[in-house]
Amino acid sequence: MKKVFILCIAVLFIFTGCGKEQEENKNIEDEVVILNIAYQYGLAYAPLIVAQNQGLIEKAYKNITGKDVTVVWNQMSSGADINTGIASGSLDVGFMGIAPAITGVTKGVGYKIFTNLSGQEHCLMTNNINITSFDDLIGSKYQIALVNVGSFQHIILAKALYNSGYDSHILDSNIVAMKHPDGMTALESGSIACHLTSSPYIYMERANENLYEIKAVTETWKKENSFIVGVASENLYNNNEKLYQALCDAIKDAIDYLNNNMEETAKLTCEFNGNNVEDELEYLQQGSYTIETKGIFEFASFMAETGFIDQALESYSDLVFENVIGN
Amino acid sequence: MLYNKKNKWIYTVLVRTVFIVIILCIWEYIAKQNIFGNQSELIFPSLETIGEAFIRNFLKGYAGLSLWIYIGNSMKLLIQGLVIGIFLSFLLSGLSMISKNFYYIYTLVVSICDLLPGVALLPIIIIIFGIKPEVIVLLVVHAVLWPMSRSILDGFLAVPKIYVEAGMNIGLKGLTLLWGVYLPAAMSYILSGLKVGWARAWRGLISAEMIFGIATCPGIGLFINQMRTNMNNAEMYATLIVIIIIGLVVQYGILVPIENYTIKKWGMSK
Amino acid sequence: MTDRNNILEVRNLTKIYSDKIEKHIILSNLNLSVMRNEFLCILGSSGCGKTTLLRCIAGFERYNGSILVDGEEKTSSGTDRIMVFQDFNQLFPWMTVEKNIQYPLKLQGIHKKNELKNISKEVLNKVKLSNYEQYYPYQLSGGMKQRVAIAKALALKPKIILMDEPFAALDAITRSKLQEELLTISAEEKCTIIFITHNIQEAIILGTRIIVLEKGGKILIDEQNLIDRPVTPASEGYGAVWKRLHNALYQEVKF
Repeated sequence: MKKVFILCIAVLFIFTGCGKEQEENKNIEDEVVILNIAYQYGLAYAPLIVAQNQGLIEKAYKNITGKDVTVVWNQMSSGADINTGIASGSLDVGFMGIAPAITGVTKGVGYKIFTNLSGQEHCLMTNNINITSFDDLIGSKYQIALVNVGSFQHIILAKALYNSGYDSHILDSNIVAMKHPDGMTALESGSIACHLTSSPYIYMERANENLYEIKAVTETWKKENSFIVGVASENLYNNNEKLYQALCDAIKDAIDYLNNNMEETAKLTCEFNGNNVEDELEYLQQGSYTIETKGIFEFASFMAETGFIDQALESYSDLVFENVIGN
Repeated sequence: MLYNKKNKWIYTVLVRTVFIVIILCIWEYIAKQNIFGNQSELIFPSLETIGEAFIRNFLKGYAGLSLWIYIGNSMKLLIQGLVIGIFLSFLLSGLSMISKNFYYIYTLVVSICDLLPGVALLPIIIIIFGIKPEVIVLLVVHAVLWPMSRSILDGFLAVPKIYVEAGMNIGLKGLTLLWGVYLPAAMSYILSGLKVGWARAWRGLISAEMIFGIATCPGIGLFINQMRTNMNNAEMYATLIVIIIIGLVVQYGILVPIENYTIKKWGMSK
Repeated sequence: MTDRNNILEVRNLTKIYSDKIEKHIILSNLNLSVMRNEFLCILGSSGCGKTTLLRCIAGFERYNGSILVDGEEKTSSGTDRIMVFQDFNQLFPWMTVEKNIQYPLKLQGIHKKNELKNISKEVLNKVKLSNYEQYYPYQLSGGMKQRVAIAKALALKPKIILMDEPFAALDAITRSKLQEELLTISAEEKCTIIFITHNIQEAIILGTRIIVLEKGGKILIDEQNLIDRPVTPASEGYGAVWKRLHNALYQEVKF
């Protein structure tokens, strides 16, 4: 009995410890301002590397308030992880695909979209020359690799099917969930027939002459449409207006810099993405970087209609903060 | 005062129940305190929410399929993998006892393969075998084969010489000696290998399913991943409870009875 | 050349152990004949090679020379020579007492349940362990385990029972009890027993013939035990035999 009691005390200790730490953070906020940002890996996040490297958020905050801010950049591996981080209050800002962002908003994680970041091409590649359209896939045993069931890539597949007049879930049973690089390996080795992926993998796959593109998906969600967006906690938006403003400014500056100095940016980001400078530049030029969102409300409505999320959103403004431009 | 042999298991059950109740109380307390801010219920749901999600998992499930279907798929792959893995570990360990050269090679293979996380082998496995449910079976085999072989070999080597000689004396040799003496004498090692192998297989299966889910054969790992992606944390915790329950059923419904009917009964348990 | 009365013939037996440093000659050119129904006690101090001799006869060791049972050369172990070890743990712990006795019989091709049951009952009765059929070895005392081992050997009706100090690890009371029982059994069963011991009294009590082995396997004494049975230390001639054996043993062990 004694041992059990001691164990309980120990467990309680651990938890009370957590609580204290959080309170302390709140007190510190008055003196040292800390901004916790999470982003992910890849070309679509290039503006963030610029912002991080050039200290753009710190500069913008200094401009507005004359004070310093400490920005903590965390690289995480999925939108779901970032959602949990923001919900728990350990992150203020996150960058992720529009699918997890919309899920997060409808689930009430406590954030909204504060900026668009980038758009890219997505396409369905196949290693079988006989597969040219959805007709060849529907009812077949061909497997389609994409990053996850319910992911952005899954939804644009559903949307492409819908646009072509099919049931949007008709290919669900052909899906195999795999990470992008595994999917590419599997496609090239012939263990799967199709791979729905994003940059830079589509560029690599397009360069392989044994692989063919199924255009229906490419045309459904072009690079002008939103792909990666930034979300900020309502706490940040409501309680620290200046920091929020600095954040928006800095992302805009980073995107402007990227668009105006692509070569410089490529030199900066190539190392993070593991490409040589020439490839990196080419990939950057193929992407679309802007703060204006495009198509996210339509996307959210489609998600609700096809059951990817439970609740529908009433308007664009449910998704984004007031300052965001777009649709 | 309660601690005597007669009351031992009642006492054990009592202590464990108290422990679980305390943990649940702490959980509920934390959930109700909203320690994690406004979104606390979302990421740290209360027991009621998890309970409701537990029922919802089975009634509604995900993508039109009840959690039963996912569990069924996983169990099917798991059992296939376990059967193949256990059979192979006995076969290969047996061969190692018969051939010295095979023993040298096989112990090396076991040492190497036991260190490799199955999930890291996925790319190679996919290239060689393609994307099929069988790949998961293969990962389960990988998870169970090496620790099991190691235990069996250790067990065989630890068989007291006197049993072997007594066996030879009554006319056992080769395979009959393996079956009649080595196997039962190594039983406690084999059982501990089985425990390790089962735990690794179960975990390996779920992580493999979380990494690549095959829509034609969706398993419990895919279900968890899905719940996580969709921020359905209550459903996710409820699924973890299902995993724990399955684990306990195997432990107390299969492994412990085997132990009771063999090494405990024979007075061979350590 | 083989004497029909000789159940066992050991000819020119040489056993050498080699370790990394040197060769150890354990037995050198040993010759021994054992007659049918003899109870041969082999006495010797530790390391004289008596256990090795027994293990060679049982077929657990490789050696130079030849070992013949009933005129037939033996190179591997078999059920015609059953060994009773000193170690209590010679029974299979995963089998009941009954199964320990029946298992070797099954291997011999006896499958009828009744027959197996009768045999195990009979031999357990002989070692005074009736009603212990369903016990597992871990539930038995050391002395009981040795009795089961003897019962197991009897059940197989081997040509020779080899006993390697089976009572050495028992307490004095249990030992003398078991010696008594073994004596009775050997008288009733008409079996050939080779019994190894370093206890002079045990050798005199049990043996119909006594051999003293010197280091290297040289036979120092080989004599019939002519004292009237049952032998006690008070028996006539006991003292003289004891003294002779004792001197032989201790002459060999020079400090």
